[in-house]
Amino acid sequence: MNPALARLLTRIYPRAWRERYGAEFEVLLQTGQGGLRTSVNVIWSALGEHIFPTRGRKMDQPIRSFGTIIRRPSAFLPVAMSLTALSIVLGYVAIFGAVRQPDEGATAHLWQLLMAGQLPVVAFFAIKWLPRAPRQTLCVLALQAGAALASMAPVFFFNL
Amino acid sequence: MEHYSDPPLLVLASLASGPKHGHAMIEDIASLCGTRLGPGTLYGAIARLEQQGWIEPLPPEDRRRPYRITAEGARVLRAKLTTLQRFSKTGLGRLEAL
Repeated sequence: MNPALARLLTRIYPRAWRERYGAEFEVLLQTGQGGLRTSVNVIWSALGEHIFPTRGRKMDQPIRSFGTIIRRPSAFLPVAMSLTALSIVLGYVAIFGAVRQPDEGATAHLWQLLMAGQLPVVAFFAIKWLPRAPRQTLCVLALQAGAALASMAPVFFFNL
Repeated sequence: MEHYSDPPLLVLASLASGPKHGHAMIEDIASLCGTRLGPGTLYGAIARLEQQGWIEPLPPEDRRRPYRITAEGARVLRAKLTTLQRFSKTGLGRLEAL
């Protein structure tokens, strides 16, 4: 395989993996058969390594606590978005009362954007953290789901 | 069903005949059972086997790093192959009874 392509493919892997296997893996790619099938195999394996890493999780690494994980942007952003959506709904009800708008106004659109926008963030958080710290991640996911349900509750309760 | 594909088991079986580097493992496995592992698949298996302590790296030789099976790895391989042997023996016996 072309050395430049071998280097490029090796760089797809996470840094911790490359530090351990990068040099020997690059040599293997250079000496082996190239082609699309090999490239696809490497890209697929590198993606797997990003999701379920074998390196970078040392035995002496401290166990990640709930507090450590909730500080991650992908953990607290969905909760913040749900709480913002909740406060928007409650603010609307406090000012205008529980009155359904004839057409979907700015408030409704903002609420929808906040609720839908957090879905990819939650998915990213789950994919990244479930394999690394399943129990703590499930707690954060439960918190995110609770916040989302809380922001949906007044919409359904007041039939807005 | 033509090729057997359990990369960690194939790597362990390949290393059972002595230490090998990546390219030698791919060729050995291909001759052993007809399965040609991709480099990504091979190193995925190597990383996990090393993490489990079933194989261990040796000092690099000309930028290539050979690996060898550990005593624990050999024990695991023996157990897996024994199970496979029992399975295939029973399966073949049932086929003969047809």
